[in-house]
Order: sequence, then C-alpha cells, then structure tokens
Amino acid sequence: MEHIWDFESVFTNWRLLLIGLGNTVLLAVVCLGIGLFLGLFIGAARYSKNRLLNVPASVFVEVFRNTPALVQIMWFFFAFPIISPFRIDSFTAATLGLSLNTAAFCSEIYRAGIQSIHRGQWEAAKALGMRYGEQMRRVILPQAMRRMIPAFMNRAIELTKMTSLASVIAFGELVHQAKTISTIEFNPIETYTVVGLIFFIMIWPIAIAVRGLERRLSRHE
Amino acid sequence: MTELLKIENLNKSFGALEVLKGIDLTVEKGETVVILGSSGSGKSTLLRCVNFMEIPTSGRIAIAGKPVGTERSRASGRIQVDYRESELIGIRATVGMVFQHFNLFPHMTAFGNVMEGPRTVLKLPRGECEARAETYLSKVGLADKMHSYPAHLSGGQQQRVAIARALAMEPQLMLFDEATSALDPELVGEVLQTIRSLADEGMTMLIVTHELGFAYSVASKVLFLSDGVILEQGAPDDVLVRPKQQRTRDFLRGHATYKLPDLAIT
Ligand SMILES: Nc1ncnc2c1ncn2[C@@H]1O[C@H](COP(=O)(O)OP(=O)(O)OP(=O)(O)O)[C@@H](O)[C@H]1O
Ligand SMILES: [Mg+2]
Repeated sequence: MEHIWDFESVFTNWRLLLIGLGNTVLLAVVCLGIGLFLGLFIGAARYSKNRLLNVPASVFVEVFRNTPALVQIMWFFFAFPIISPFRIDSFTAATLGLSLNTAAFCSEIYRAGIQSIHRGQWEAAKALGMRYGEQMRRVILPQAMRRMIPAFMNRAIELTKMTSLASVIAFGELVHQAKTISTIEFNPIETYTVVGLIFFIMIWPIAIAVRGLERRLSRHE
Repeated sequence: MTELLKIENLNKSFGALEVLKGIDLTVEKGETVVILGSSGSGKSTLLRCVNFMEIPTSGRIAIAGKPVGTERSRASGRIQVDYRESELIGIRATVGMVFQHFNLFPHMTAFGNVMEGPRTVLKLPRGECEARAETYLSKVGLADKMHSYPAHLSGGQQQRVAIARALAMEPQLMLFDEATSALDPELVGEVLQTIRSLADEGMTMLIVTHELGFAYSVASKVLFLSDGVILEQGAPDDVLVRPKQQRTRDFLRGHATYKLPDLAIT
C-alpha cells in the first residue's frame, strides 16, 4: 500500500503537542519528586527493626513492584474514588499511581545504596558521638547518593515512559494528545512517529548521561 | 593519681558465644595501657565496650569517676546495668577511637574529616571547628595535607588524619584498635610516633597492638588477654620480659620471630 507522508497535518496541531509535552513533563517531574521523597521514608521504614513500620512498608513495596503500573493508575482513577470520599481527576489518579510506584522502586535504590556503604563508616560516625540521624545525614547518605544517582536517573527514564499510561484515563499528556490529533487528522502514522521521536529526544540524552556516570563511578572505586 | 576508667566484672556475649568473661581493669589518668592477645581473644570487644560501640552483657564501667548507666541488680556478682542511648552518645563523644582500617570519611577532605566531630556532635561555632582542625592536623604533622581527600593520602597519613579526627573532640580517653595492622611496614613508624607523642603528653590510652617493641617502650601497663580473661597484667618488664604464664610466653615467642625490627623504634 502506498502511503503519502503528511507531517504537515501533525505540525499544524503543535499547540496540542506542546500541551501534551508540558503535561508529560509535569507528571514525570511531580511523580519523581514525590517518589524520591517518599521512597526515602519507605526504605527507612522497611529496614527499621520496628515491625509496625517494616511490615506495612514491605507490603507497600511488594504490591507496587509486582503489579502493572497501568493497573495502579486505573485503580486510582476508577476504584479509589468509589471507596474514598475524594473526587479524583485524571492528573491526581495518574500522580498517585505513578508516584507511589516510583516510591516503591526508589526505596529499593536507597536501600541498595545505603547497604553498599562499608560498616566502618557507620562505626566511625557513631564512635565520634553522632546520633543515628547525624550518621545518616552527614556520612552515609552523601556517599550513598553518589552511587544512587545512575539508578535514580534510570528510574526517571522509566517514569517518563510510564507517563504515557495516563492516556488511558484521558490525562492530556503526549500520547493522549496524539490520539486526539490522529482522530481529527486521520494520520496515526505521522502523529505517533512524531510522538515517538519526542520521547526519544527527551530520554536518549539521559540514557547517555547515565552510561557516562556509571563509567565514571566505576573508575573512581 | 585519679582513676579515669574503671571496669568491674565486665562480661560480653554474642548469643551463646561468651567473649569477655569477667574483666576487671582500672586505668589512671595519663596511663597508657597496651592490650595483647591472640586473634579472637576479645581485645576489640573489650575496647568497643569501653565506648559502648558494644553494650556489655553485664558489668559496670565508670569513666572519670562517673558510672555509666543505671544499675538494675547485682546478683551473684553479675552487675546488670540499664543504659540510655543519649548517655552513651555523650560517652562516645568524650572517648576517641582509632580503627585498624582508618574509616575516614572519603567524601570529606582531611580538614573536613577533623572538623566533622566538633561541628556535628559538639555543635561548636564554625571558626572554632576550623581552628581545632588546624591545630590537630598540625599536631599529627599533616598541616600541608589539609585539603587532600583520603584517597590521595598514604595509609600512614590517613591513619594520622583519623587520629587527628579523634583528638579534635578533645577526648579524655583514646582507644586504638590495631591502628598500624593495615599499614605497609614502612608507614608503621610514623603512626606509632604520633601515638607515642600523645603518651608523652599525658593522654590516657588503651592500645591494642601487635607491635611488641612499641608496647614495651610506650606502655605503663600491659595486659595479656586470653579467651576473654586477663591472664596476666603488669609493667612491660613483667609481662613482656618475664611473663609468668605459659600462654603469654608462647604468644610472645610466636611474635618475636618476625616482629623483631619494631624493637628499634624507641
Ligand atoms: N558483633 C559480633 N557478633 C558475633 N560475634 C562477634 C562479634 N564481634 C566479635 N565476635 C566474636 O568474638 C570473638 C572475639 O572477637 P574480637 O574481635 O574481640 O577479637 P580480637 O581479640 O580483637 O581478635 P583479632 O586479633 O582477630 O582482632 C571472636 O570469636 C569473634 O568472632
Ligand atoms: Mg580485633
């Protein structure tokens, strides 16, 4: 079948794409922020000796790591509003699903990063008279963070890709906008090609940076 | 003389493993006590109980005349003590510890390492922390390496930074756990000399070492630890030259064969 390429029809809708790009970035940035923040506490809770903390934290992590992100988003959009008194729009549902998902994965990155720090560092900090929080903040986290950065960047890449799942609950991110454009213009080939390229241009530089960082880190250790 | 450290019937078990079995020890202010013993005899555990890196199973420890913790019971000689973490944190801040593997903070310069305790633990004003860092780095002969990161220092230099880091807390007692065991032989001397100068200045110290020559020249008292008990203790001449116990003799003979060159350092 002969296809006549018509990218013109995509670019005349650049406003829609731009809004979509903005929403994609917004969703990714918000979820990454929340995920990084919550993940630290969930990770700490999961490895605390207190069962009231570590059991719920473990359940949380396992549930979010072992169910599809798509199901999580749909659950917050379609199921959660029924059992909660809140009204939930598509952005909120997507944010809930993706930031909790990210928090679960980040908590594991924190754990691995912290466990990679030699015991002697805890000991030296403790022997100086530091409290647990001080040991963590001044000695362990600054070292562990450096090692965690590549993993967090990979998480950011995954998250950026996962934002496209929010199109199923009609959140106006890139893929949802593409759906709209291709319905109006009957040009799915061109529209989805352009959207794919936009994702690639956003993500590829991060992927290259991760590889560079990993190489640098491995050389320094 | 005043009693700086008093250990009374100290026991420490890890699960079923009894590591320390009734240690009694008194250390006067300004004394240098060297602890000898074969691997696994409990030397590190003893040191780590003194600054409560390990919590004693039973027994009483008093530092500068002040017993640590609250005594719960004293049944058949076993002294049970309750500890509050906040008190132990305070103790650790006044007892310096130097580790076999230095354990410097690799993300801080030598200067940063030495400033860290005064800054984070003592919460002194920045200027005073800097002054302390300069003072103590100069004291260990590393004024010119202040801005180097640990990775760019030799083992001997790293260990001296670690000593400065402990000294910057202006501790009343210093603990050294095999401070030179991880060093190349040619770097051992500089660290021993640093420790020696502290002894000469009257710092109270507990030192675990395998450097017998150093022990002989620096110790005011030598302990020989075996299977969690102090088998023998006394002046260096008594324990190192005229040991009474067969085990001590065997230990010294085993070490003398290849540790002899250390005797040249006095
Ligand atoms: N945290 C711990 N948990 C369980 N067992 C321990 C622990 N720390 C020490 N031990 C055990 O206690 C015993 C004494 O250990 P310790 O480190 O005090 O010996 P040491 O005299 O310092 O030996 P070395 O000369 O090898 O350093 C050993 O059998 C050791 O395995
Ligand atoms: Mg030891």
